[in-house]
Amino acid sequence: MDLKDLREKAAADFKANGFPTTKDEQWRFTDVSRVANTEFSTEWTAASVDFEPLSKIVLVFENGKLSRKKSSFDELPKGVCIGSILDLVDPRIGTLADSQSAFVSSNTACFSDGAFIEVPEGVQMDTPIHLVYLADAEGVALHLRNFISAGKGSAVTVIEEYIGQENATYWTNAVTEVFVADEGSVDHYKVQCESASSFHFQTLETHLGTNAIFSNHTVTLGSVLGRNDIRGKLAGEGGEAICNGLYLLKDKQHFDTHIFMDHAVPKCNSHELYKGILDDKAWAVFCGRILVQKDAQETDAIQSNANLLLSRGAKVNTLPQLEIYADDVKCTHGATIGELNETALYYLQTRGIDPIKGHAMLTFAFANEVLDEVKCKTAKTYIEGLVHDWLENASI
Amino acid sequence: MALIEIKDLHASVADKPILKGINLTIKPGEVHAIMGPNGSGKSTLSNVLAGNEAYVKTAGQVLFDGKDIDDLAAHERACAGMFLAFQYPVEIAGISNMYFLKAAVNAVRKYQGKDQLDAMEFLDLIEEKKKVVQIRDDLLARAVNSGFSGGEKKRNEIFQMAMLEPKLGILDETDSGLDIDALRVVADGVNALRSPDRGFLVITHYQRLLDYIVPDFVHVLVDGQIVKSGGKELALSLEDEGYASWVEEKGA
Ligand SMILES: Nc1ncnc2c1ncn2[C@@H]1O[C@H](COP(=O)(O)OP(=O)(O)OP(=O)(O)O)[C@@H](O)[C@H]1O
Ligand SMILES: [Mg+2]
Repeated sequence: MDLKDLREKAAADFKANGFPTTKDEQWRFTDVSRVANTEFSTEWTAASVDFEPLSKIVLVFENGKLSRKKSSFDELPKGVCIGSILDLVDPRIGTLADSQSAFVSSNTACFSDGAFIEVPEGVQMDTPIHLVYLADAEGVALHLRNFISAGKGSAVTVIEEYIGQENATYWTNAVTEVFVADEGSVDHYKVQCESASSFHFQTLETHLGTNAIFSNHTVTLGSVLGRNDIRGKLAGEGGEAICNGLYLLKDKQHFDTHIFMDHAVPKCNSHELYKGILDDKAWAVFCGRILVQKDAQETDAIQSNANLLLSRGAKVNTLPQLEIYADDVKCTHGATIGELNETALYYLQTRGIDPIKGHAMLTFAFANEVLDEVKCKTAKTYIEGLVHDWLENASI
Repeated sequence: MALIEIKDLHASVADKPILKGINLTIKPGEVHAIMGPNGSGKSTLSNVLAGNEAYVKTAGQVLFDGKDIDDLAAHERACAGMFLAFQYPVEIAGISNMYFLKAAVNAVRKYQGKDQLDAMEFLDLIEEKKKVVQIRDDLLARAVNSGFSGGEKKRNEIFQMAMLEPKLGILDETDSGLDIDALRVVADGVNALRSPDRGFLVITHYQRLLDYIVPDFVHVLVDGQIVKSGGKELALSLEDEGYASWVEEKGA
């Protein structure tokens, strides 16, 4: 299907299905009527939002459009192709992200721009690729579409970062499709620091080949209402998917994380560690679905979701969903909602550390565990800083 | 002056009286051993001294360095020079041992009005203390006690004690879970820390530890009371005879 047909089909799908409601099982706890009932414009304006480039290779999107002036991606390893998705169309676009979801179909129908990254066979990129999405336009919908393809035996690190101007009300609707070929490796980060009154939705679709590795870390701090749909298909033996994430929510923020890990073939691993710290009247939803298909013997799937509530008004719905059709599998899941460990606090105290500092250390540690598997030093340092700043202002 | 003076100490846990009148005085430079059957209140005593709020002192008095410690919270007692090596050290995910040690050392130094150690000075201190208690670098880099073996945790406790240089070290069954070589390392570490102005309270079930860390006094704790005190030879006779006679005597 060419892009035009794809867009038309998606527009038709969107028209037919509309936005989900809380009657849909997958949207039970997340009411998107505030998005559905708003008329968003698509008028383009330049953005004046500060950001810090985390790499020499950086693509900056201003209110949904690539800014060549702010970007820099000239010096690339041989064969690596990076640019605007509008210029570098690939027939695989739209093959992973299925149009059934209203957010995906409206994105496919409307996307205004996005990043295209193709790393050819055998090329291991040391320099991370920083994708920056700046937003400050009032009342607009920003449909961003990214495509990442890592060839056989290649390796690439991509940091997607969404930054919004404080108090701007807009709707980010992003879709990222990731293809990891056999023996390939994609180290992916998503940092969401949208405006506190924005809506942020993203669907991340990943397809992994034989012995492919996909590592994903999401950090969510922004948006008043939002959701990450993270979907991985382990389609080749020996594949490994790591999906870790952290959501730090306050005020009346509502954020939903839906993960779907599809073990289609034998001998794959998937690890998911998600943690949340909730203050004020924040509300988090976590749903981790793991499907182990009939042939997917020797699957090793671990999932855990832990939440720390800093205030009585905060709320969490956590729902593990395991569907296992193979018999030789190792599958574990666990979910907790709680307060800080008093024994650990006492232990710190017996070493001279006062309870206020101890609380701060333990809260940071709780969050920081999610970053244990972060391979990219730049991303780690940056994210740790964000977590630190957030905690400075939280009620601990 | 005594380092610590415990007078007629009574304490409860979850409203259950556990300590029923403990009297014990440790002078600087002395090593006291406490032995006693399971559940007799040894860990309770160490927790009451360390300031665990789950343990409630119901009567008596504890003077540390001549001052009543009633109003001191656990971290203030630590800063004042009390150190408890836990029977069950706590695992803390997400905080590296190094970071934890630096926070602890600097918290104690701050309380004592000393300058904070910067990164270099801290690393020098680590190297210096590694000579007292050998500890693998990977254990220092890992999260506090997380996934440490039983013996590694105990070694880490003693390493922390070496780093914090307390006036009083309370060792709650530090020997349990240690293999023979590790026991020697830990005991050598404690012996290296023995000094005329430092005291130790060593809780153990086994004479073996006391072969290495030779105590000045041995006390037998049964049902929340010290029923017998003596020199190091008391531990030997306990090894032979057990606690049966004391337990019976108390029961009778
Ligand atoms: N948090 C608690 N809640 C209820 N009971 C407790 C608690 N802590 C201790 N106890 C009880 O207090 C008593 C004394 O326990 P303690 O741990 O002091 O014994 P111990 O002498 O250290 O024993 P062991 O040699 O087994 O370590 C026991 O009966 C124990 O069950
Ligand atoms: Mg005990």
